[in-house]
Amino acid sequence: MMERPETRNRRMFWRVIRRMVFANRGRLLVILLALGAGAAVTAALLNLELDARRRITSEFRSFGANVLIVPKPAAAANARADQTFDAAVYDGIPEHNGGDRVEKAALLYGIARASVASFSGNSTARSGEELVIVGYKNYGSDLSDIFGNATVLEAATPTSADHAEVSMEFSKLLEKGKQDTVATEGPAVRPGFAGLTGCLAGEKLARRLGARVGEWLHLQANSVEAYCRIASVRRTGGPEDSQLFLGLEVASRLLEKEGRLSTVAMRVPGNSGSVTGFIEDLEARFITLKVTPVRQFTENEAKLYGKISGVLTATVFLVLLLTALCVMAAMTNIAAERKNDVGLMKAIGGSVRRVLRIFLAEAALLGLAAGLFGAATGMALSIGLGKAVFGVAAEPRLVVYPVSVVLTVMVAILAAYPLRQLANIRPASVFRGEE
Amino acid sequence: MFFRLVADNFRRRPRQKLLTAAALSLGMAVATAALSVSLDVGDKLAKEFRSLGANLVVTPEADSLPLEIGGVDYRPAQAGAYLPETDLPKIKMVFWHNNIMALAPMLEVEAQVSRGPTATAHRAVLVGTWADHGLPLKDGSAFPTGIAKTNPWWKTEGRWFSDDANECVVGIRFAEENGVKIGDTVNVSADGQNSMTLLATGLLTSGGPEDDAVVVPLGIAQKLAARPGLYRKLYVSALTKPEDDFARRDPKTMNPDELERWSCSPYVSSIAYSIRQALPGSDVRVIRRVADGEGRILTRVRTLLWLVTFAALLAAGLAVGASSAASVIERRSEIGLMKALGAGRATVGFLLAAEQLLLALLGGGAGYALGLLLARFVGSKIFGVPPAPSLLVLGVVLALAAGVTLAGSALPLKRAANYNPAPILRCE
Repeated sequence: MMERPETRNRRMFWRVIRRMVFANRGRLLVILLALGAGAAVTAALLNLELDARRRITSEFRSFGANVLIVPKPAAAANARADQTFDAAVYDGIPEHNGGDRVEKAALLYGIARASVASFSGNSTARSGEELVIVGYKNYGSDLSDIFGNATVLEAATPTSADHAEVSMEFSKLLEKGKQDTVATEGPAVRPGFAGLTGCLAGEKLARRLGARVGEWLHLQANSVEAYCRIASVRRTGGPEDSQLFLGLEVASRLLEKEGRLSTVAMRVPGNSGSVTGFIEDLEARFITLKVTPVRQFTENEAKLYGKISGVLTATVFLVLLLTALCVMAAMTNIAAERKNDVGLMKAIGGSVRRVLRIFLAEAALLGLAAGLFGAATGMALSIGLGKAVFGVAAEPRLVVYPVSVVLTVMVAILAAYPLRQLANIRPASVFRGEE
Repeated sequence: MFFRLVADNFRRRPRQKLLTAAALSLGMAVATAALSVSLDVGDKLAKEFRSLGANLVVTPEADSLPLEIGGVDYRPAQAGAYLPETDLPKIKMVFWHNNIMALAPMLEVEAQVSRGPTATAHRAVLVGTWADHGLPLKDGSAFPTGIAKTNPWWKTEGRWFSDDANECVVGIRFAEENGVKIGDTVNVSADGQNSMTLLATGLLTSGGPEDDAVVVPLGIAQKLAARPGLYRKLYVSALTKPEDDFARRDPKTMNPDELERWSCSPYVSSIAYSIRQALPGSDVRVIRRVADGEGRILTRVRTLLWLVTFAALLAAGLAVGASSAASVIERRSEIGLMKALGAGRATVGFLLAAEQLLLALLGGGAGYALGLLLARFVGSKIFGVPPAPSLLVLGVVLALAAGVTLAGSALPLKRAANYNPAPILRCE
């Protein structure tokens, strides 16, 4: 059976291309290397860039709270420390903003006298130092989301065992015959006794009181007393260094402000627009309260994010553009030496269009091969690089892969395009070695 | 003869040479642009981060515990310790004085404030500080500083007070509640005595507790608190280098070499250390919230940009290498001819290498100029200031250009040197 001419033509076409591709191994390697490197860099940088924008936003977390809820000052602006609001507000805050979790902490500020508890001597000799205590409650996140990173100078071992330890220490305390009722973090069973809790001490405070991790502090506010055991000593450089953080329930009983809060501090994720939206939403919800952004951070985050992502985007796109041009120039250089091939094809009767088509198809094929392989390498690379930069492996974005491959093919084809000029060379002069 | 051969080659095939040079200079432009931006971006971003305000706070060491709630110290003026204002110029004499961008001392005092002498008085906090103060230095010059620089997010409507006038800036909420407008007079008195009349020159929006307070010149707060020449808290904004593990070590545990290296790096903790030594009786703390966030983000961005730079160098290197490899491959017949005429392997290699090197230097130089232009464009678009051209970058770029062209040509050259001239000349 005779094959139809078109089929034969097509087979011939591919055969020519196959021969051309494998004719010179050295050149093939060089081309694949240049195109593949371009593809790998494109894929790696694009992926890293997409990932970095998200990561940088989450790095802003280390600035701590960016939105506060505080009471509206009363007309006669007296000491603001005395102003509180209903603790139900804390539960009324939406859990998420734009899919990301809102970290929040309920805080109650007050002033109490504290001293290192000594269970051996008599209790009447205690005078103590006046200091700010902060009752706090926050689910699932630690204080650094609210107050920024703290250097933990000393810390007690696992916090999960704290509750058991608290009860155990307290039973020891009972053995010494000082108290007559057992009270742990549960309800205060005895009037005038707020209970026991763990606490975090600021560094200045610990130094001032001469207290160390694991020791008990005796707290006294008006007629109520409480004990807390220091779980860690922390340094933030802020006012927290001279404050004592303890469980909200015990603190509110100690300060006789049960069910009240002074502040709710939140770290609201997202860009400035979405944070503003969140604030407006809260304001509408709690009209009696003041919802205020921490301007030091909210305003600057947006500005800094703009600069950082500007630098990153500009650099990445500059590098990508120049890399493409550079690969293209290298490829053109390689393609320009194909004069002999073009001359031969024309001499045996190839039309300009067909010759050009063969070369473009070859370029596209090489671009595809190098792109598929290079982009995959680049993606893999960016995952590792993301880990090196942010400590978390970069999420591979699937869209990056086809984009990089298509870009590589385009660069390869564009690079072969100057061959068009070879179409008007005269075969004879090529063979005579005149050009 | 050697130079003639090289020159002839350039003249005879200008197109090819131009293309190789173009690939080279584009590659080197990538390298230059990425390198210039990466080298520069750390300092530029560090400056941008100073808009977060002070990253160091100085308090008296012998102080009692501040009763600070919501930014207001509830201790009476008699309690606690103070630091002398006269020591402040010493801060600009420490080793890192150039890194200290701004400082502002603060003294808070509770007072009765009323609009005009007849209106009813309200209790409010007076925050005494510097607005735009020229701190006289030892060399006779003045260092302009103040709260507007340490807390750049504070916005004032109207203008800041002059430090030596009877003026004040009123917190926006206090002003709204008491009907104070710009140009009004405000009466302040502490404990019924020391009454003063101040002109309100501006309204302050800080987003913090200062919105309920009245900001006054430091001297007035000192007079009202009867603490002349003293302050309670000092905010310092310093340009720093992101901290690493080494920076966080306690200087007391370092050996002399390490201590020197530590104190010669502008880590926030070593700046804090040098301020502590300059101000006797002070306790200098790093505001972790500001410093850590800044450090983390800066480190990340810097690493990221170095990676981008590295990737750019890699891609540029490979493309340039490919281009020079190609230019050697296409000259097989020429090499065959040279060898047939009796040229040794060394001569052929040397000739081609010289050509490639010449090309590398030309292309690299052009690429450097182009890359510098691009880096300037990026720098001034984003930071408003172009990065300074660096000779280091020029050196790196030229060395890189020479390195990659030689590396790219090395393999085909080695093979070319082994060619048997006869088959090549027969075009086989």
